[in-house]
Amino acid sequence: MIIPKNFLYLFVFFVIAVTGGTLKADNDSFERDRNRMVRTQIQARGIRDRATLDAMRNVPRHLYVPAVQRRYAYQDRPLPIGYGQTISQPYIVAYMTEIIRPEPGHKVLEIGTGSGYQAAILAEIIDQVYTIEIIGALGRQARQKLEAQYDNVHVKIADGYYGWEEHAPFDAIVVTAAAEYIPPPLVEQLKEGGRMIIPVGSPFQMQQLMLVEKQSDGTFTTRSLMPVRFVPFERE
Amino acid sequence: MHKEHYQTNSNLIFGLGLHSAAIIAFQLALMQLISVVQWHHFAYMIISIAMLGFGASGTLLALAREKLLRMSHWLVPMLMTFSGLCMMVAFRVTRTDFFQFDVYLLFVERSQFPILAANYLIFFIPFFTGALAIGILFIRHARQIGTYYFSNLLGSGIGGLLVLFLFGNIFPQQTPPIIGLLSVTAGLISISRKYRARHIVLGVVSVFTAIYLVHQPGTIRISQYKSLAQALNLPDAEVIYSNPDIHGLIDVAASPALRYAPALSLTYSGEVPVKKNVFVNGDYYGVIPRYREGQTSHILDYTTQSLPWAMQHRNNVLMFNAGEGAPLAHVFSKQPSHVDAPIPNGGIVSMMKDHFAEASGRLFLKENLDIHNVEARNFLAGTRKRAYDLIVLPHQDAFGGTAGINALQENYTMTLESFALMWDHLAPGGVIAASAWTDYPSRNTLKLLATMVQTLQDKGSGKPQKHIAAVRSWGTITFILKKTPVTAAEEEDIRRFARERSFDPLILPTITEGERQRYNMIEDEDFFLYVDKILDGDKDFLDDYGFMIHPATDDRPYFGQFIKLASLPKLSKVFGGDQLPFLELGYLIVMVTLLQSTFLAVLFIILPLFRLRKSHRGKGGTLLYFGALGIGYMFVEIILIQRFVLYFGHPVYALSAVISTMLIASGAGSLLSGKLTASPRSPAVVGLVVTLMLLFYTFFLTPVLQWSIAGPLTAKILISLLLIGIPSFFKGFMFPLGIRYLAGYDQGQIPWAWGINGSFSVISTSLAMLIAVEAGFMSVMTIAVICYAIASGVFFLHRWFFKQKVPAG
Repeated sequence: MIIPKNFLYLFVFFVIAVTGGTLKADNDSFERDRNRMVRTQIQARGIRDRATLDAMRNVPRHLYVPAVQRRYAYQDRPLPIGYGQTISQPYIVAYMTEIIRPEPGHKVLEIGTGSGYQAAILAEIIDQVYTIEIIGALGRQARQKLEAQYDNVHVKIADGYYGWEEHAPFDAIVVTAAAEYIPPPLVEQLKEGGRMIIPVGSPFQMQQLMLVEKQSDGTFTTRSLMPVRFVPFERE
Repeated sequence: MHKEHYQTNSNLIFGLGLHSAAIIAFQLALMQLISVVQWHHFAYMIISIAMLGFGASGTLLALAREKLLRMSHWLVPMLMTFSGLCMMVAFRVTRTDFFQFDVYLLFVERSQFPILAANYLIFFIPFFTGALAIGILFIRHARQIGTYYFSNLLGSGIGGLLVLFLFGNIFPQQTPPIIGLLSVTAGLISISRKYRARHIVLGVVSVFTAIYLVHQPGTIRISQYKSLAQALNLPDAEVIYSNPDIHGLIDVAASPALRYAPALSLTYSGEVPVKKNVFVNGDYYGVIPRYREGQTSHILDYTTQSLPWAMQHRNNVLMFNAGEGAPLAHVFSKQPSHVDAPIPNGGIVSMMKDHFAEASGRLFLKENLDIHNVEARNFLAGTRKRAYDLIVLPHQDAFGGTAGINALQENYTMTLESFALMWDHLAPGGVIAASAWTDYPSRNTLKLLATMVQTLQDKGSGKPQKHIAAVRSWGTITFILKKTPVTAAEEEDIRRFARERSFDPLILPTITEGERQRYNMIEDEDFFLYVDKILDGDKDFLDDYGFMIHPATDDRPYFGQFIKLASLPKLSKVFGGDQLPFLELGYLIVMVTLLQSTFLAVLFIILPLFRLRKSHRGKGGTLLYFGALGIGYMFVEIILIQRFVLYFGHPVYALSAVISTMLIASGAGSLLSGKLTASPRSPAVVGLVVTLMLLFYTFFLTPVLQWSIAGPLTAKILISLLLIGIPSFFKGFMFPLGIRYLAGYDQGQIPWAWGINGSFSVISTSLAMLIAVEAGFMSVMTIAVICYAIASGVFFLHRWFFKQKVPAG
C-alpha cells in the first residue's frame, strides 16, 4: 500500500509533537519535583545558605542518575549509580555544600566524582572545581556530563590519595566517599583556614559527617556533625 | 513387631537416604554461596522460602494424593532426578544478568522486588520437587515410616558432613553440581526396570550437566557492595590468592590503591602503606602485614589502638584479633616477650604461614608467637596461664559500619562472662584494650563501656572512673580496662600520647570537661553525658536509651544488636520510616523473614489444607501435634548449636556436629519406633520423656558445659554425643509414631501433617532467632519444652482430640 506523502508528514509532525510535548512535560515535572525537594527536604531541615539552595534548584539531579533511577531522582534517599557507589541523598549534598562555606572565587577539590552531581552543585557557586574519580568508567561518564555543562569543572581519573598538587592549595576539600583514613597529601593541600568535609559511615548507614579545619598555625581540629539529630530520651 | 516393617525396598530406602543427603547438602551449599555473593542473613531469608517447598509438597500431596500415589513408581525417581538437575543449575541461573538480585539495593531500588520473587521461585523448585518425592514415599510406606524416616534422617546427617568436606576442598560454585548428582543417582537407583529406559535420558543429561558445571565453574558474581567487589574496582586490582576453606572462601586482593591506616591521626605526615587485603566470603577480614624483624614503629602507633603501649611496656600479650594481620605486626613492633593468638580460622593461619610467609616477614612463624586454632573464649577457659599484661579485643564493627548486618551474629567474645574470664587472666597491672569506630547515634562505644563498667561492678573492684581510661580520635575510641587503678603517671602518659596525635582523652580518673574536646569536637555533646552516666552505673539510663546498650551475656550474645522493638516507633519518627533499614539491617531482615514465611506458610499450606479436608475429624490434634514437633525440634536444634558453638569454640564444627548428631540419633530413634505400637500411648509417653529431658536441659545444660569446657577434646566429644544424642534419639520416635497413628486413624491427614510440620519448621528458624535476641536462649528452650509437652498432651488427651475409636497399631 502506498501511503500518501501528506500522511507521512502528518505522522512525523504528530510524533514530534507528542514526544516533544512529553519531554517538555517531563522537564516541567522534574523542575516541580526539584523545587519541592529543596523546600521539603532541604530548607525544612535547616539549610539556609542562599547560594546552596539556588544551586540545588538549578542543577537537574535526574541527569546525574542512571536512566532507570530517573523517576526517583528527587526522592529523599541515596540512589545506586553502579560500581558499588551511590549518589548521596539530596539533603546530604546540600549539607556538605553549605558546611564548606563556598564563595565565588573559591577553588575546591572533590575526591570521588561519582555521578558528578556534587561537582555540578559546587560549579554553580564557586570559580574552579577540581574533581578526582578512581573508577575509570564513572569518571568518564561524569566528565562527559560535567564538561558539557560547565567550563569551571576539571575531572581527573586517578587515585584521590595524592590530591591534585598542581592546583593546591584549596579553599575546601569535599570527600564524597567514606574514607578509613585521611590521606596526608590532602591535609597538606588544604589552605590555612580551609575546610574539609568527609562522610563517616557507609551509604547504607545513618550518615555522620566530619569537618576538618586547618587552623592558621597549621594544626587541625575535627568536628563530628550529625545531620539528623537523635535525642534518645526526653530529659527532665 | 509387624510383619509389614520388613517389606521394604532396599534400593528405594538407599535412594531416599542419598536424596535426603543431597537436599540438606544443597541447603548448606546454597547458604554458603549466598553468603559469598550477598550476606548470611539473606541466606536465611531465601532458604526459609525455599524450604517452604517441603510444606507446599504436603499441600500438593493432599490435593492429589491418589493420583500421585498411582504414578509414584516412576514419579518418585523422576522427581529425585529433576530435583538434582535443578540443584545443579539453580544458583547459576540466579547469577545471570536477568535474575541477578542485590539485597543491598532492596531498600533503594524497587525493581529488585520482582527479581527477588524470581530468585525465590528458582530456589523453591529443587526443594519442592525433592520434598515431594520424600513425601510420596512417606505416605506410600506410612506403615513402615520408621525405616523410611530413619533413612531420611541418616542421609540428612551424612549430607551435612559431606558438604563440610566439599567446602574444604572445592570452590563453592562447584558444590551444587556434585550435590545434585547425588539426587540424580538416587533417582536412577530407585527406579524399577520397567521405567528405566525413559528415565535414562534425564539421567544422562544430568550427568553431562554436572561434568560441564564442575569443569567450567566460572567466577562467582558477587554483589557490587561487598568489600571484595569494591576493592576490585580500584586501578590494577586483582585477586592474587583464592582458596576454599570450611570457614569460607578466602581471597586476597592487591592494588596500589589499597592502603591500611584506620582512623589515622592527622599529625601523621608519612606515606600510608599499601597493603594486600584479605577477604572471607567476599567480606573484608584483614591485611597481609609487611613485618620486618626488629622494627620498632608501625602505622598503628598513630591510631588510638596504640593506647595500651603509651602507658607501659607489655610482655605477655593475648590477641583476639591476630588474624587481621596488621594488629599482630603492631604488637610485635613493641617487642613483647610472648604472644598468644587464638585464631579459629585455620585457613587464614595456613595461608599466612605458607603462601604469604615471606611477604609477611614470617610474622606468623615467630618463635614467641603461639597460635591456637580455637575461639579466644575457649582458649581462655582452657589455659592455665593467668598473667597477661595486655588482652587485645577485636575492633568493634567494620569501618563505615556494617549497617547492622552482623546484628544477629552471636559473639561470645564480647559477653559479660567473657570479660569476667579475661579479667581473671590479667596480671596485676594488666589491661584489656578494645577499640570501636564511633557511630551515630552512639551504640557500639556505649555498649562497650557499659560492659567494662558492669565487669568492674561484678568483680567488686571499685569506681569505674579509676580503672577505665579511653582516648578518642576523629573516628575511633580505644578503651582500657585496668585491673589495678590507673596511676597518676599513666594518666600523664595517656595525656601526652593523645596530645602528640591530636586525640582527646575521654575517660581518665582526673578528666576535666575542657580536655575532652580540644582537637575533636562533637556536635552532639550529649555523648559525654551518656559516657558519664554509664561510668556512674546509672541503670535507668541503660533502660531508657533508645537503643539496646545493656551488656551482652552468654544468654543473649548479640553485641552487635542495638534495635529495641519498643523504640521502633520513635526511631521511625526521628529518622523517617525509610531510614530504619540503615540503622540495623540484620534485625529487620530477620523480622521480614519471619513475617513472609509465616504469611506464605499460612496462605499456601495451612489454609488450603484446612479447606480441603473439612470432613476430617481430629484436624486440631494433627495441627497441634505436628506443629509443636516442627517448632520444638528446630528450637532445640538452634539452642544446641548456640551452646556448642561456645563449647567447642568452632562455629563450623559445632554446627555440623550438632546437626549431624541430632539427625543420626533421631534417625536411630525413628528406626526403633517401629518396635512400639501405634497406639496413642506411645507418642504420649515418649513426648513426656522428651519434655522432662528438655526441662532438665533448661536448667543444667549450661552448667554441665561450663564445668567441662576446659576438659580434653575426647571427653568433650563424648559429652556432646551424649548431650545431643539422647534427647534427639527420643525426639526421633515422635514424627513416625504420629504418622503411624494417622495411618490407622485417617490416612488423608498424613500429607497435611507433613505440610504442617514443614511449615512450622521453617517459621521456627527466624522465630527462634527473634526470641533469642529479645528474651534470651533460656526463653527459646522454655518454649521448646512447652511444645513437646503440648505434643505429648495431644495423645494423652487423644479421646478429646481424635474423637473416634483408635484402631489397634
